[in-house]
Amino acid sequence: MSQKVQTVEEKPSLVPPVLTGLLSLVVPGLGHMLARQFRKGLVLLLVFLSAAGLWIWRVSDAARREVGFTAMFKKAIQLQPILLIILVVLVLLYLLIAYDAYKVAAKAKASSFLLWVFVVASFFILGWQIGEIRPAVLVRDGKNSLPLLMRVLWPWEKALYYPEELLIGSADVVIPCTENVEVPPRVVEEGDPYVTVTPNCGDLSEIAGAEGTKLRMVGSNFAPNDETEIWWVDQVRNEFRYRYGGEYVKIVTDENGSFEMDVIIPYRVIPTTGGKGYAVWQVEARQVASVGEPVLSEELKLSVEKMIETIFLGMMSTVFGVILSIPVSFIASRNLMSANWFTKTIYMVVRTILNIIRSIESLVWAVIAIIAVGLGPFAGILALTVHSIAALGKLYSEAIESIDHGPVEAIQATGANWLQTVWYAVIPQIVPPFVSFTIYRWDINVRMSTVIGMVGGGGIGYLLIQWIRLLDYRSAGIAIWFIAITVAILDYVSSEIRNRFV
Amino acid sequence: MLEIRNLTKIYDDGTVALRNVSFTVPDREFLVVIGLSGSGKSTLLRCINRLIDPTEGQILWDGVDITALKGDDLRRMRRQIGMVFQQFNLVKRSTVMTNVMAGRLGYSPTWRSITNQFDEADRKRAQTALKRMGITDQANKRADELSGGQQQRVGIARTLMQEPKLILADEPVASLDPVLAHSILQHLESLNREDGITIICSLHYLDLVQRYSTSVIGLRDGQVVYQGTKKQILRMTDAEFKSIYGEEAERMGGISGDIAADDEDSAGEEVTG
Ligand SMILES: Nc1ncnc2c1ncn2[C@@H]1O[C@H](COP(=O)(O)OP(=O)(O)OP(=O)(O)O)[C@@H](O)[C@H]1O
Ligand SMILES: [Mg+2]
Repeated sequence: MSQKVQTVEEKPSLVPPVLTGLLSLVVPGLGHMLARQFRKGLVLLLVFLSAAGLWIWRVSDAARREVGFTAMFKKAIQLQPILLIILVVLVLLYLLIAYDAYKVAAKAKASSFLLWVFVVASFFILGWQIGEIRPAVLVRDGKNSLPLLMRVLWPWEKALYYPEELLIGSADVVIPCTENVEVPPRVVEEGDPYVTVTPNCGDLSEIAGAEGTKLRMVGSNFAPNDETEIWWVDQVRNEFRYRYGGEYVKIVTDENGSFEMDVIIPYRVIPTTGGKGYAVWQVEARQVASVGEPVLSEELKLSVEKMIETIFLGMMSTVFGVILSIPVSFIASRNLMSANWFTKTIYMVVRTILNIIRSIESLVWAVIAIIAVGLGPFAGILALTVHSIAALGKLYSEAIESIDHGPVEAIQATGANWLQTVWYAVIPQIVPPFVSFTIYRWDINVRMSTVIGMVGGGGIGYLLIQWIRLLDYRSAGIAIWFIAITVAILDYVSSEIRNRFV
Repeated sequence: MLEIRNLTKIYDDGTVALRNVSFTVPDREFLVVIGLSGSGKSTLLRCINRLIDPTEGQILWDGVDITALKGDDLRRMRRQIGMVFQQFNLVKRSTVMTNVMAGRLGYSPTWRSITNQFDEADRKRAQTALKRMGITDQANKRADELSGGQQQRVGIARTLMQEPKLILADEPVASLDPVLAHSILQHLESLNREDGITIICSLHYLDLVQRYSTSVIGLRDGQVVYQGTKKQILRMTDAEFKSIYGEEAERMGGISGDIAADDEDSAGEEVTG
């Protein structure tokens, strides 16, 4: 390395220093190449070209609708001033490259530190812009979404469910009062809530005009001392809650579950009458009465069920992964497979396949598995198993490769056969790393199984993503809590096991 | 009797580790192999129990050619030859007892040994071996909890389980301090004298060689350059010393060349070629 630098300094630049600098202004990096620093010149050229290219892309991306570069540039700078800063940095970088080329050719011993600082800085600012990093948004929106976040952090209101029953009593109202209209009488079972209105016909209110007919409404057999809502149902079965003076009307029943109140027929924009010249509406009294003790909510139960599924998903895929990767690891161990070219080829092929499988993420494997076996935990197990085989196969085979050959020879020397040698000299050496890698993988698999449901591979991830999409943050919070608790317990258990066995 | 005839070992990479080596070892001998690092001592010992396959030549053990053995025959031969290593080569995570019992594997049926069902006689043998090496109270410890000297005793106890006729010891004391070195070599000496086990041992320190060997061969570049009996070793000349360890080698301690030169019987026979 130091020798290389020496030879560079021994040979003079191909062109004089000033020309070197000027050529660098024509093509950044060209100066260095001519000053016998070819590699540095090439790196600088590529760096500058890619930074400039990225900047142009971002400008045209920021001002899509403009035509012509000047218009685009103006609009982009206006929308995102950071693009101007990037431009300044790039221009400085461009000048620095030329200056550095001049210094190199003139054999000045100054360092290029500043140059590399600018290289790093230009990519950092580009990254900031491309990543749309806006801390202000985090602060502003974060504050607004605090109540929502609180629901996620403390979701337990939704852990219990108070069983409720809807009590409804309704009566028909004919609008307007019409002769000879037969309204069939209500059939009410003994003990059920019922409502009567007198009169049972009248006129609608007018918008910003005369009030409609006032009706006397009497209800019985409701839950005592409980709030009761009044609802109207029009002839096309549109429901709307009764307001008076802009406020929703509520009435509290007496200790017998009865109430009495006046209601005024409200207005309605849509025509109330069809060809018949009248319409039949219903006025309803509704009570939501809680019955019985609170019980665990469906969301909680679902979370528990899916969490159990998740844990088993991680466990089964680990078990399958371990069972299948042990034989794989033996044929992927260099020291066991170096006997002849045939076994060496197997070793190479197996290693390559393992590397390819491992480089594809479990979530991608889950999507592939879903194509094969459909949505559900089985797809998740398949995906995690495949990934586990590849990962464990590699780790196990490295453990086998690193065993101490001494004890193997010593056991062989006692006249032991192959199986005895493996059992007495190889297995004891590979058990600790195998146990530790297995626990490590189990850990990963349970963590992965909590998210693999997000793509449909079973487990709690499916619930989580669904609740988040439904904006049901409390339920999502319950799921997240379960995931966190499970992973914490898992961490503890696996470190305990590791301490015991390894 | 062990007879080595024209033994040559060429490794896969072309290294010639042994060239045409011939010598005989009568029963009950304590033969020490000396030579510089890389002279082929380990290769020679490993050829004898076939941890390494020699390229050419024969090794006759009571008339049977070891180099021609295969499979079960090879294992039956190996179980009569114990081996002690410089690095002890114990299975570190197994107990001392398990390590010692492993010496019996060549005699045990595969299934029984894997399920750890050794018979009563074997267990007695193990107790005896542990007692003889003075490590009875360590039996249930893990091998890697023991000190170096204790580990080497476990190594010897393991070979005792084989009820060997021959013990190969490849630099058995090179990892130990001088006091422990004597203790280990005394154990080997007692096995040699009291039990009549032939011992072939490679050693680095000449004072140990002179103290324990009954005969010596010197290797240099894979060739036997010196052979001597116990008497002759005590009077090894500088010339002999240099033929083994090279012209630049300085002799330290031990018996001086002058005394050796005084004696007419002193010259060990030098083997050349
Ligand atoms: N597996 C092998 N492959 C190739 N060459 C080897 C191998 N083992 C040993 N050698 C070479 O064979 C020669 C003899 O080695 P050997 O280990 O027998 O020497 P040694 O006398 O035991 O040395 P030391 O005192 O260092 O243990 C050396 O040149 C060594 O480099
Ligand atoms: Mg050696």
